[in-house]
Amino acid sequence: MTRAGLLLAATAVAASAAACSPERDHGVVLWHTYNGAERDTLEELAASWNQAHPDQELTLVAVPYDAFADKLTSAIPNGNGPDLFIYAHDRIGAWAAASLVEPVEFWVDEPIADRYDRNALLPLAYQDSLWGLPLATKSLALFYRTDQVTTPPRTTDELIAMAPDARAHGRFALAYASTELYGHAPWLYGYGGEIFADDGSLHVATAEAAAAAGFARKLVADGVSPAETNGQQVATLFGEGKASMALSGPWFIGDIPAGVPWAVTTLPTVSATGRAAEPFLTAEAVLMSSRARDKEAAFAVMSYLTDDPSAVLRARQARQVVANKAAYDDPDVAADQVLATFRDQLDHTVPMPATPTMRAVWRPYQIALQEILRGGDPGDALRGVEDEVIHGP
Amino acid sequence: MKTPARHRAQLRDWGAATLVALLIASAVFFVHRNREFRAREEGRARAAALAVARGEPPVGRVDLAGVVSPPRASAAYPFLRHRSFVEAGGDGAARELGGPCAPAADKLVYDAAGRFEAEGAFAGFLPDGSGRVVAATPTEGGVAVAVSTPPGGPDAFPWLTLIGVLGLGAALAGAGSVMGGAARPLGLALGASGLAVPTFLWGGALPATLIGLVALGVAWSAGRGGTDRFFGALAAHRTALSFVAPAAVSMAVLVATPFVVGLVLGFYDHDANSWKFVGLDNFAHILSGGGKAFDDPGNFWFVLGVTVLWTVCNVALHVTLGVALALLLRQKWLRGKGVFRMLLILPWAIPNYITALIWKGMFQSEYGAINSLLDLAGLGHGVSWFSSWSTAFTANVVTNTWLGFPFMMVVALGALESIPRDLYEAAEVDGASAWQRFHHITLPHLRPALGPAVVMGSIWTFNMFNVIFLVSRGEPGGSTDILVTNAYRWAFERDEYGMAAAYATIIFLILLLWTVFGTKVTRKEAAP
Repeated sequence: MTRAGLLLAATAVAASAAACSPERDHGVVLWHTYNGAERDTLEELAASWNQAHPDQELTLVAVPYDAFADKLTSAIPNGNGPDLFIYAHDRIGAWAAASLVEPVEFWVDEPIADRYDRNALLPLAYQDSLWGLPLATKSLALFYRTDQVTTPPRTTDELIAMAPDARAHGRFALAYASTELYGHAPWLYGYGGEIFADDGSLHVATAEAAAAAGFARKLVADGVSPAETNGQQVATLFGEGKASMALSGPWFIGDIPAGVPWAVTTLPTVSATGRAAEPFLTAEAVLMSSRARDKEAAFAVMSYLTDDPSAVLRARQARQVVANKAAYDDPDVAADQVLATFRDQLDHTVPMPATPTMRAVWRPYQIALQEILRGGDPGDALRGVEDEVIHGP
Repeated sequence: MKTPARHRAQLRDWGAATLVALLIASAVFFVHRNREFRAREEGRARAAALAVARGEPPVGRVDLAGVVSPPRASAAYPFLRHRSFVEAGGDGAARELGGPCAPAADKLVYDAAGRFEAEGAFAGFLPDGSGRVVAATPTEGGVAVAVSTPPGGPDAFPWLTLIGVLGLGAALAGAGSVMGGAARPLGLALGASGLAVPTFLWGGALPATLIGLVALGVAWSAGRGGTDRFFGALAAHRTALSFVAPAAVSMAVLVATPFVVGLVLGFYDHDANSWKFVGLDNFAHILSGGGKAFDDPGNFWFVLGVTVLWTVCNVALHVTLGVALALLLRQKWLRGKGVFRMLLILPWAIPNYITALIWKGMFQSEYGAINSLLDLAGLGHGVSWFSSWSTAFTANVVTNTWLGFPFMMVVALGALESIPRDLYEAAEVDGASAWQRFHHITLPHLRPALGPAVVMGSIWTFNMFNVIFLVSRGEPGGSTDILVTNAYRWAFERDEYGMAAAYATIIFLILLLWTVFGTKVTRKEAAP
């Protein structure tokens, strides 16, 4: 489809969406944290919406990421917040409990739900309601330097086997955020561990989770990975050639210095269990404020931003790993190897828990991982996490 | 006193007392009115829903009323729940709720059915500020829901009542003044307590008694000349007060209000947007150590111990380094004093979080500058600074010493300037050694200036959030956290705002005690 044709289609969809809601001249305000190509694409989408709906003007407001959540929680209850906003799904639990976000399942029928990959839509369901429509997904994948690695490892045994050779060249085989739960999650789920049981209760201190933590310690002890690395250092190590591979997400692409030859592939299988290493999945979504002034118009915008033509544009121009299934039929999008890899990884991910309790888990788990990597007992450390989350520190 | 002046004073006192009474009465009125309004509107919607539940047309005016069916979950997507709706007073045909083109009011009844299934029958205002109420109640085949029409608005402020009461009160006070003697305070007290009557009707005995007490208090004070003195002082210092007023108002709004709110929050428990009064539970939990051992970083007393140690180490180092450098800068043989002084003040001029982040990077175990230097000097390799308590604590102290000594140096430099040279000359003539000169001349003269600086510096250090939070981040395992970073964690990592507020109150009390004690000590030292 040509670009002009695309815009035409988008306009047609938008026109049909608005035809059913009475024009009420409230306008729709959307807050986002995008910049660069993502922001340009969003502005382009907003411009074509406004052309078709002069009476329901969509106004975009860029808000710095650091201040975003705090601004929302203070502005929405006072009626000063946006009508829509773009954010990851993992705060839905807390926001739903505080009645900041509007459940949207009322407007969503099966044809709309069918647009999205099931794995991208499910994270937005919480407590029998749907709280937004997905734009894109984010998860870790395996980046590797093609000048140092010819065939990326498909299993963790292959990964460990690469270490001696890498050490001989004075580098690490793999850099990842080993002391952060986000970086550790692929091993945790690959070993069959979990954070919450199916009934929603905390389930951290398990034999599987201890095995996963033991594996992480082995990676450091065997010199496969450096000790104590955070996300920032992963980028530095990879860029300087001191690490041949890195676990990171789509945001990492911008951090790789020009001239570094790289490729990305899905995570390896955990040899001990035969299961794929499964990273956390975050779904970036358009959410509606519970105080939106014109909810029908807001939903029409929400639906428009996440429909197939918009998704194709976002995938092509902003290289978002869009949630729409049909977008990957577009020849340009299908040809993008990076998008294809992250989309393949999507089938082996675990949605980041959206329950408010999760916020209390991150830090104790991080402390436990640090203890374990320094030689502490995994079982004790994980029991400590459970204890702290339940009883407080 | 001349007669008209006496009457004026009586009316003035009556006015002051009435003003306070009016504030109380208005607050009581608005609370009362909102309660009435809420009850009336909710009752209206509830009655409509009950009528629908009985199969009758809804009583009163409604935006929309009818029966919503139980949800049918979509086979593919269990969170998509479809419902149908039979509108009351319609043709009895069911229609589907929802879909991309559904009418706005349908969403209200759809959500009401969901809320009914979660929490049972209810009636409540919509959060959109329209004043409409949604009520839901069980019925055969689903939930009866009614959405009321926007109300005409709550009762008006009772101006007539107030003017009547005020006029009567002024007349009573005036009459008392004219009659003189015991009638004067009696008239004032009666005249000013008139508002207690409507207040009693709106809000019961407690606020009415309060108004009565205000009136009695003013009348009693007026009899002893208290109000004359008060208003006399106000008039005499009119200019000064008008200058102070803006600052006083902004202090009240920006300092006193958050402070009082913080104090009050300490008595509440916060859970998912709701607040529950728990009395002293938060304080008891903190002060009992939360059931943890004394060497556990989760125990308040452990954290307090770390905080005190942290403060003592830092202030001692700040003072020693600051005074030593100040003495050095006073030496006659030193060239380029201005340059050195500027360089030494530099750490103070750079925002402390930037300094903290730089030091954090320098302590990094593999590529940090400090480990590289240690490595070069052959003193150790790859020291993991934040993996044990002593090294992490040292890293914090080093960073904060870097940040803190310039202040003490500047204070000491200023104090040294003020020591008369001839004291040293006389001492030298008498053959005093350098140490004797320092001990008997310099130190006693530094004390009055350093005392308050130490008190202030220790308060800053006690609450030095940035360094702890950015350098060690409490590692390992929260053991290098100080009280204020712990309070932060309660608030923003665990959403326990009540606990955080209780923590803040305890920190405040500790520092208050310390300030009172510290000022007393320094004053005693400065006295002789």
